Amino acid sequence: MLWVAVHLPLLSLESFAATLPAAAASQPLALIDTHRIVSANAPAQQLGVKPGLKRATALALAPHLTLAQADARRDEAALSAVAHTALAFTPNVTIQPANDAVGAEHAAPDTVLLEVQGSLRYFGGLQSLLQRLQRALVPLGHRLHLANAPTALGAALLARVHPRFDGVDLALTQRALDAAPVWLLGPGRAHWEALQGMGLRTLADLRCLPRSGVARRFSAALLDELDRAYGAVPDPRVSIVLPPVFESRLELFARADTTEQVLYGAGLLLDRLIAWLAAQHAFVRRFTLVMQHEPRWRRDAQTPSETTLELALAEPSRDRAHLLVLLRERLARFVLPAPTLELHLRAADIAKRAPPNTELFPTPRSEREGLLRLIERLQARLGHERVQCLAAIDDHRPELATVVRPADAQAVCRAHAAATAGSSAATNPADDHDGAEPAPGVKVRPVWLLNEGEPLHERDSLPLLEGQPLQLLSGPERIESGWWDMRLVERDYFIAQLPDGALVWIYRTRQLVSNPRPGWYLQGRFG
Amino acid sequence: MDLLPLVANSATASPPRPVLPPLRDQPLRRVLREAPHTLHSALWLGHQLGRQADTTCTSGFAALDAQLPGGGWPRRALSELLLRQPGIGEIRLLSPCLTAIQRSGRLVMLFDPPATLSAWALAQLGFDVEQLLIINTRTKALPSGDSLWALEQALKSGHVGAVLAWLPPRLRAERLRRLQLAAHAHDGPAFVLREMTAAERPTAAPLRLALRPAGADALGVRLLKRRGPPHETPLRLALPPVLSNSAREHARAGFAQGAAALHGATFINLAGLL
Repeated sequence: MLWVAVHLPLLSLESFAATLPAAAASQPLALIDTHRIVSANAPAQQLGVKPGLKRATALALAPHLTLAQADARRDEAALSAVAHTALAFTPNVTIQPANDAVGAEHAAPDTVLLEVQGSLRYFGGLQSLLQRLQRALVPLGHRLHLANAPTALGAALLARVHPRFDGVDLALTQRALDAAPVWLLGPGRAHWEALQGMGLRTLADLRCLPRSGVARRFSAALLDELDRAYGAVPDPRVSIVLPPVFESRLELFARADTTEQVLYGAGLLLDRLIAWLAAQHAFVRRFTLVMQHEPRWRRDAQTPSETTLELALAEPSRDRAHLLVLLRERLARFVLPAPTLELHLRAADIAKRAPPNTELFPTPRSEREGLLRLIERLQARLGHERVQCLAAIDDHRPELATVVRPADAQAVCRAHAAATAGSSAATNPADDHDGAEPAPGVKVRPVWLLNEGEPLHERDSLPLLEGQPLQLLSGPERIESGWWDMRLVERDYFIAQLPDGALVWIYRTRQLVSNPRPGWYLQGRFG
Repeated sequence: MDLLPLVANSATASPPRPVLPPLRDQPLRRVLREAPHTLHSALWLGHQLGRQADTTCTSGFAALDAQLPGGGWPRRALSELLLRQPGIGEIRLLSPCLTAIQRSGRLVMLFDPPATLSAWALAQLGFDVEQLLIINTRTKALPSGDSLWALEQALKSGHVGAVLAWLPPRLRAERLRRLQLAAHAHDGPAFVLREMTAAERPTAAPLRLALRPAGADALGVRLLKRRGPPHETPLRLALPPVLSNSAREHARAGFAQGAAALHGATFINLAGLL
């Protein structure tokens, strides 16, 4: 058994800093609890703010200090993101429960334990596994203490003391534990004064005492923890289970007025989503971002209390940069009705498949993926209805024979890939059209069509377009259709020529009952 | 007028060499004086037609190919087409090149077409209608920058086969220059269609053609700008036909001779008589 403990010493501070806009990370921040400073970040400590000071003193030292209270739910969400990242390395991941301390500070769990004996061979050794773990945890932006030891509790305790501890065997771990201070143990913290009075500072001192005496004088829990840390008693752990649906919320400290601020918070939630996806080797197909707005003074029925943004991907993906670009393009089109206070991210629709291979040179497959991403980006920014495909419909009426509909990115790229696979040698197009004729029986149609025929003036029973007489060249082609859907069309179509040589398609309506205004109309131009 | 043979002759004494002799054997000054265009494929002398560093896409019209540098539409660069009004035959001019690109399995995208396209007409010209992607950014709700943003993204991605874009009128020169820079990443022809009044202003595109109708089923092409000597006479290209031969005779006869034009049949309104 080889346990790796990942301890986050500044978890509360970092999870609080995540709720602030990006620029505020370099400002002095501190957490307070009942008017006493609990922790402060580096800029605050430089100004002299230390844990234990009173609130008024701290504000006197650093007038621009941002204060907040530690929030257990916020810390738990941040820690679960770390645990999900760790799940990509081993299925046995547990969260070390908090020391139930009496008084003093608010203790939240801040250590994640991984049992990695089974994964060592796959990752090529402990050192490379630890390196990969650290690289995977970089996007979450926490300060980490890593320790590995044969016992779980031993690793957890040593991670609190040393930034990096390598316990290769039990003897080394036990020697390191001997030197560890006694307040690391939960019951040790409770009985700290008594222990100090007796001169017991390190765990070695505690072990020298008779066991029954320690159990009677302090609690049996203290002895049990000691035994578990030293490996004398087995320490079974239940590993965490990945939630089936991803749901995470982030309460912003300052209300977000601009898209950039919302994006910064959404970026953090995306990091947690990606950690959750990586743990189960899956890719997300669709996710929803809900932005909850600030309630206003006036009860305004028009201002909604939350805005929902749903992002559906043509191809399931786990790429942070790509998801952030799509989110940015969608948010750019939004006008938020009110400042945002809270963000929720929810993802339930995932696809489990093998990750794609990255290729050095462009291949049809990478071209297809690149095309998909391009179409997704265009759809995200312009809207689905502006990226269009044409379809030809079997209808004689020209204005209904073509239908424009929003493009389906997958269908375009799938058919495109099939065409690449089965492309024949391009035939040489006939480049001499002099004297050629359109194939008999084929009805020629103009490339450019007007949906509504444009009425033309008439002179000497010949139509005029922009004041110029049209010469009729070919026709008439009679189209009479559409009695079934009340859009009856009875027209005679001609191909006509403008004096400068351009060809247009015009029609004359037949003077029957259905046409209120008989006359010449322009239907299209031959492009 | 071609200076290449001069260079080749001086190298006949040695064993067979490639067409461009290595500079080591020729003093650089001499090459620069006599045949500077042999140094790199992107260089050309003023009286010669430039070569294209990349392969070109054949336009489908032999007369046009002879006048275009490289023998076809250039890749990785914008080709500007100026028209007074859409509907004079520009799609028929570009259809051989675009259909060839579609047949080779790459995507053709259209940006902001000026009117509705007819799927049947495109199918007759040889396009695979389902595989065309049309981006329509012309609505009041969108900021105007988006139409050029979409075009720039498609050019920069490098995965699109060909691009056909109708640009907004009175485009600023630096925006066109930006599109030309983006086109360097685009492996294929990029056609931009603009209004004829843009001919008065310089352009960043290396190829500029002015199109005007020259009779029925014929297009008059003038090469305003290309990598090579200026071309004086306009070309007259025969487009894929829409009219039958007899109709074309009618058209050629035209108005001046007062040829018997086809009249619309007279209709008797039976409903009015009843």
